[in-house]
Amino acid sequence: MADTNLETKWIGDGADMEKIKSDLLTLNMGPQHPATHGVLRVEIQTDSEIVATARPHLGYLHRCMEKHSENLEWRQVIPYVDRMDYLAAMNMELGYCLAVEKMLGTEVPRRAEYIRVMVSELQRIASHLMFFGVYAIDLGAFSPFLYAFQDREFILRIFEELSGARLLYNYIWLGGVWNDINDDQLRRIETFLDELDEKLHKYHNLVGENHIFVGRTANVGVMNKDYCYQYGGTGAVLRGAGVDWDLRKKRPYGIYEEFDFNVPVGEGTKGTLGDAWDRYWVRVREIWESIKIVRQCLEGIEEGPIMGKVSKVLKVPAGEVYMRTECPRGELGYHLISDGGKTPYRLKVKSSCFTHTSMLVEVAEGQMIADFVATIGSIDIVLGEVDR
Amino acid sequence: MHSEWTSKINAAVSGANAEHVAAEVGDDTIFVASEKILDVCKYLYSAEGMEFNVLQVVTGTDYEDRIEVSYVLASFINNLELILKVKLPKASKDATPELESVCSVWKAANFLERETYDMVGVIFKNHPDLRRLLCPQDWEGWPLRKDYVVQKVYAGMEVNPAHKINTADIYFGEKLKSSAADPKKFSYSWKKPEFYPEGAQTSSTTEGE
Repeated sequence: MADTNLETKWIGDGADMEKIKSDLLTLNMGPQHPATHGVLRVEIQTDSEIVATARPHLGYLHRCMEKHSENLEWRQVIPYVDRMDYLAAMNMELGYCLAVEKMLGTEVPRRAEYIRVMVSELQRIASHLMFFGVYAIDLGAFSPFLYAFQDREFILRIFEELSGARLLYNYIWLGGVWNDINDDQLRRIETFLDELDEKLHKYHNLVGENHIFVGRTANVGVMNKDYCYQYGGTGAVLRGAGVDWDLRKKRPYGIYEEFDFNVPVGEGTKGTLGDAWDRYWVRVREIWESIKIVRQCLEGIEEGPIMGKVSKVLKVPAGEVYMRTECPRGELGYHLISDGGKTPYRLKVKSSCFTHTSMLVEVAEGQMIADFVATIGSIDIVLGEVDR
Repeated sequence: MHSEWTSKINAAVSGANAEHVAAEVGDDTIFVASEKILDVCKYLYSAEGMEFNVLQVVTGTDYEDRIEVSYVLASFINNLELILKVKLPKASKDATPELESVCSVWKAANFLERETYDMVGVIFKNHPDLRRLLCPQDWEGWPLRKDYVVQKVYAGMEVNPAHKINTADIYFGEKLKSSAADPKKFSYSWKKPEFYPEGAQTSSTTEGE
């Protein structure tokens, strides 16, 4: 609601507020707008340049994925979960497969585990590079986008060789992975990582240390620790608020406990702890950590089968499971209920983008519209995962 | 761990009737009485040794005679996880059972409960803003109920008109089936002919072939 303090701030004390009271203007941001990262529509009540209230309207990309999965066999669900977060499809598949495997008690071969970790970390790099480029575009810088896409392209090509698809892979299957990786690909990944490791310093100096970029992001969209807990914020949003929380460390899944890496957290370097710049910096440092993990994979990968034993006509024993994994955008949870049949009885996806969208409402109040765009960009949502 | 929590809940909240269901596969759950859900959540939020400070999921599952609402709670302080469930009996097929909102404990519940209301048709009492979230405000029915049928007309438009339904999978499936060694073992789509409305082409006469 229009706060009179805002008005006195701009007009000055002693003015006859009754006569010059400004009206609130309703402004629709989206659903078709590049700054909303897809089809998010936010109904904003603006008081001149200041956001008085913001109301997100979801559902423009609602494809009833949860309803569909009730009619699909366990394996057939995998391509559908790909389409939730289409920028991190490998991580989506990994979570679903781990949830079903937990119910089945399937053993995954070592080589498949290594490939899984490798592809999901490469996907994390690709997703964060996408964030890096798109966030710069949100704030008015075009060229970082081109740099980021050049490097992302390499990862997509490797994935295309592995799975046959560039974005929606259907690569991680129940019990293992679909296709083996060869030595040539491993070697190329190694060279690529060496290059990216160096280039990333350059990219960060170009964007992150840029005076305008810092001005646009520091002290903007501050989400502190308690705010994150209240709304269930996870991932880079929570780590940006200075909380050392990464599921790969805290509740390791797969073979993540064997790897040595750090969890970057926000420190309030350029402004307040938990601002947009901190979230940016956490993500960029996560790329280096992912590079570390993939390098350890390349060293430790073992020969062997890539598929465990899973029966052809698959029936999952009755029961329920909640499986959380750390995705590029935050925690992804699959709440799976089985009645012992060939299809899931109920599949509920806990999406981090969904919870982060609900966090926008309170942060937006009192912000400039341009800062609100910077806030939406910094939480890095994908609407496919919000609406499912 | 769960049985210890169950007795703690029973001791702290009178009438909670917490019941521990040990699972053979997957995760254990705790059922509580639906009238006491808010008190139980308040207790779990602050109880020593638990401190479930994050609400991850609120969702409903439709069964023939009841709706089960699950709350997945997580503690980022003690690194714990809990699936809390309540049973809501359905008086009739279209009944919308009521439940107390937990928005006063976690703000995350706002959107999650709106989604549950939208999808399964559970009314949350004392919710600050209970509107549909993913579907349009004037949508009819509760899509994630098992007996849900899509409405025929929405805002003057026909929903799923027969001529717009893609039947290519059926056509190619049939084509492959006819050439399969053992057609009985061959399956190509979960969509049975009765899935399609009248007038949809499910035979091998697709245009543009």
